[in-house]
Amino acid sequence: MQMLHSYRLLVTWQALRKKNYLPLMLAVQTLFTLGIVLGYPLLFPTLDRAAIYLIATGAPAISMLSVGLVALPQTIGEQKTEGSLAYMRSLPVPRLAYLAADLTVWLAIVIPGVVLGVLVGAVRFGLDFQVSPLVVPAVLLVALTSACIGYAIASLLPYMLTVIITQAIVVFVFMFSPLTFLPSKLPAWFEVIHSILPIQAMGEVTRGTIAPNEFGLPLGAFVTLAVWCVLGFGVTYAAMSRRG
Amino acid sequence: MLLQIEELTKEYRTGTRANDGISLAIGEGEVFGLLGHNGAGKTTLVNQVVGLLRPTSGSIRIDGRDMVADPGLARRLCSFQAQAQVPIDGLTPRQAIDLLGQLRGGARADVQRRRERLIEALDLGEWLDVDAARLSGGVKRLVAFAMAAVVPGRVVMLDEPTNDVDPVRRRLLWRQVRTLADHGAAVLLVTHNVIEAERSVDRLAILDEGRVIAEGTPAELKGRLGAALRLELVLDPDAVELPASPFGLSAVPVGNRLMIGVPMDAAGQAVAWAESLKHTGSIEEFTLGPATLEDVYVALVGGSDAGPAHVEEVIDANAA
Repeated sequence: MQMLHSYRLLVTWQALRKKNYLPLMLAVQTLFTLGIVLGYPLLFPTLDRAAIYLIATGAPAISMLSVGLVALPQTIGEQKTEGSLAYMRSLPVPRLAYLAADLTVWLAIVIPGVVLGVLVGAVRFGLDFQVSPLVVPAVLLVALTSACIGYAIASLLPYMLTVIITQAIVVFVFMFSPLTFLPSKLPAWFEVIHSILPIQAMGEVTRGTIAPNEFGLPLGAFVTLAVWCVLGFGVTYAAMSRRG
Repeated sequence: MLLQIEELTKEYRTGTRANDGISLAIGEGEVFGLLGHNGAGKTTLVNQVVGLLRPTSGSIRIDGRDMVADPGLARRLCSFQAQAQVPIDGLTPRQAIDLLGQLRGGARADVQRRRERLIEALDLGEWLDVDAARLSGGVKRLVAFAMAAVVPGRVVMLDEPTNDVDPVRRRLLWRQVRTLADHGAAVLLVTHNVIEAERSVDRLAILDEGRVIAEGTPAELKGRLGAALRLELVLDPDAVELPASPFGLSAVPVGNRLMIGVPMDAAGQAVAWAESLKHTGSIEEFTLGPATLEDVYVALVGGSDAGPAHVEEVIDANAA
């Protein structure tokens, strides 16, 4: 009971804190997804249908990663530096309720933009998505996993290091991760790395549920993501509960 | 005693010993001041009580219960106004206070009633429904205080509650701090504003480099000074040497001032001596007044914290 009561109040608190920026964040998030979907074909006008499918279904994963692994850890890092995270940790609420509430609000910020971006992409290129109902847990899992990993990074590292690492992650996600291209285009050793990291799995899960007719449902990727999600959440929970 | 701290030591991984064998006891209904320079270890102490930091050794008990072993219980029994601003941008004071009251387990109607009383008592009505992002630092601090006071814990810890608050509302705030104690809370007040502390606390401890170097009521601590009066000399900027005190008591330089303890029966002698210094041009002016807690504080920990910022606090406090 206390858990739910605290969760409800903390969601209200966190949503009100972000409400001034919410419309802007939604707009940026939508434009971000659209930017990838509409921008890549401008860059490479000769893209074939398969490549456009890859881009349109990989963009949502990139968008969610950019929030979870970049915007979120930087915000948490700032909160650590200014002392507001310590204040929230001093409140008489279960740690789990606080984390769940914060993650809920982050998810609420990221998901509408993703959905809108995919819809516009589908209309623009006349893509025939036969969306699976599993898209709901898939998107939730991708958003939650990237947020949990981002939270863990910010919880463990000093702010400046968090900023530097998240910048590096942006480059890695955009340029060297099989989200808008297939893993087979990577060198074999790099393919092995990506089979362990969660990024490729995020792409597979989103595209596999948005367009299962094109890519098939990747059950293994769901498992990989679930493991990373639990790991990220566990590390974050431990860091939030730890007394310095 | 409600809050009992014994031999509390906190050593950070860097090797810094921020608290070094601190023992304090604060009773129900008591306002206890914790004074000290920046870096004296005040905030480290408070953060251990509220369960954000784990002590290296020593014990913290509230009502006899071990807070080090159960930090969750510590968070329920303590309400806390942190030194940093509260994260309430986007919320109105009404929303922030109500949310915190309910998070602390208050029923919604009770919390709203308490909030109305606090808003009125602190004269915050005009900002009740204004987004905190548009509030001044002082008003935000008052809202943070109201958040700590709306459903107070057995122990209420206030870390620099009057920072940035205007002189009139500081008085209102101090009245509410006293009300919290009157209702049975033990109030631990962290400040480096000695003048305000003198007026507001029942007892206090002075912390220096992580240790308690003095503890008692303001009157007891002033008694230790051995001087009922304080002669303050404003030195001539060109004066090469500090005037030597003829009274054999404390003489502490604070910026361009020299604070000298003077026994009551030497008041006339002190004025005559200061007049002669003024005549020779060693000083620009002087004042003779009753010794204050500030004199005790400065005598104990030196005047390095009492530069221009401190002078502003003196002016603020006097205006109040």
